[in-house]
Amino acid sequence: MTTRQDIEALIGRVALGDRAAFRALYAATSAKLHGVCLRVLHNEAEAQDVVQDVYVKVWRAADRYAVNGLSPMTWLITIARNAAIDRLRARPREAAAELPEDAPAPGPSPEASAVAASEARALAGCLDELDPVRAEAVRGAYLEGLTYDDLAARHGVPLNTMRTWLRRSLMRLKECLTR
Amino acid sequence: MSAGPDIDDEDGDGILAAEVALGVLTGPEAAAAAAREASDPVFAAEVAQWRERLAPLADDIAPVTPPPDVLRRVELRLFGPETATAPAPWALLDRLRGLVFGALAGAVAVAVLAVGLTLVLAPAPPPERRAEIAATDGSLLLNVRLESGAVRVERLAGAAPPGRVLQLWLVADGSSPVSLGVLPETQVARLDLPAGLRLPTGALLAVSEEPPGGSPTGLPTGAVLAGGAITEG
Repeated sequence: MTTRQDIEALIGRVALGDRAAFRALYAATSAKLHGVCLRVLHNEAEAQDVVQDVYVKVWRAADRYAVNGLSPMTWLITIARNAAIDRLRARPREAAAELPEDAPAPGPSPEASAVAASEARALAGCLDELDPVRAEAVRGAYLEGLTYDDLAARHGVPLNTMRTWLRRSLMRLKECLTR
Repeated sequence: MSAGPDIDDEDGDGILAAEVALGVLTGPEAAAAAAREASDPVFAAEVAQWRERLAPLADDIAPVTPPPDVLRRVELRLFGPETATAPAPWALLDRLRGLVFGALAGAVAVAVLAVGLTLVLAPAPPPERRAEIAATDGSLLLNVRLESGAVRVERLAGAAPPGRVLQLWLVADGSSPVSLGVLPETQVARLDLPAGLRLPTGALLAVSEEPPGGSPTGLPTGAVLAGGAITEG
C-alpha cells in the first residue's frame, strides 16, 4: 500500500524530472483521480481526457508542490477536481441536465492512514451537526461541482438565500473542526 | 453580494477562501478570487486550509482504473514518441499471459473428462467459481475459491522467497493489475475484496513476489511467479 510519505517522495522525484517516479505516481494514484473525474463528469470519454490533462499538469507543477501547504493526495485530488469542474462548466447548458450514470460504489482510497481516517470521522461528524439539506449542499458542491446558481436551483431557493445558507454552514464546519 | 452583516464582518476572507476551495463561485467573482489565490500567499494558505478540511469528502469517491492507453498518451504528450513502447509493468503482464495459457489448455482437457463423469454419476453441483494458480515448474501452487466479497486462498505447494511476500493480483482484460492483497504466511487465507470490485470468469489471477508489505507502487514490481484463470464449475 502506498503511504502519504511514499506519494510525497514520488512527487519530489517527479519535480526533478524522474520519469520512473512519474509512472509509479501514476500507478499509485490514477485510479483515484480518474474516479474523481468520473464522479464530477459522469462521462467516461471526458473523464479519460481530463485525467490525461491532470497528469500533464502534475508533471509540470510537481516542483511547486512543496510550497503549497497541501498533503499529497489533497494536492493531486485538487488538481483533478478543478480540471474536471472546468470541463463540466465548459459544457453547453442543456448537456448539464443529463442524468448521471450510476456512481460506482465507494471504495478504498490509496492511503488508509490513521490521520486520514480520523480527519474523515471529524468531518463526517461535523457535517452531521448541520441541517441535512445544508450538508447535502456542501457535498453537492464538492462532489458534483455545483455552483451557487446550481445549488439555488436544485433546492428551489433564491440565490442570496443559498449563499447565506452555505456561508453559515461553512463557518459552522470550521468552528466544529477546530473545537 | 453581501449576505448579512454578521457573516461578512466576522470572517470575510475565510468565507471567500472556503468558497474558492469548494468551487461554488462563478464569473468575475471566481476570476477575482482565483487571481487573489495566485498572488496573495496569506489568502492562498487559507484556501489550502479549506481544501484540507473538505478533502475527506473525496474518500467516498471510488477509484476506477483508467485504461492503459491513458498513461501512454500522457507520456506521448510530455516526452514524445520515444516512450511509445510498453513500459515495464506491461512486460510483466505479457509474461503472465504466457504462464496462464499453458495452464488453461490443461484445464480444458480436465473439464471435458469431468463433465463426462458427472453426467453418469451425479447431478452437477452449483458452479463454483475458482482459480488454480500454478507456476509452470510446479514450484508454487495455490487454490483460490471466490466467495461473496472475498477470496479464499489455499497455498498447496511452495512459499514466498526468503525475505519477500506473495501478493495476489487480478488482471482483467484491458486493465492494469489490481492488488487483491498480500498473502499471509498461513496455508489458508481469506482476503476481503474492495467493495464493487468484480472478478469476471476468464480474468487472470496472478501471484508476484514483493518486498515485505507488498508492492510500493500499486503494480507488480517483483517477478510474477504463477497465474491462473478464473473458471466456473
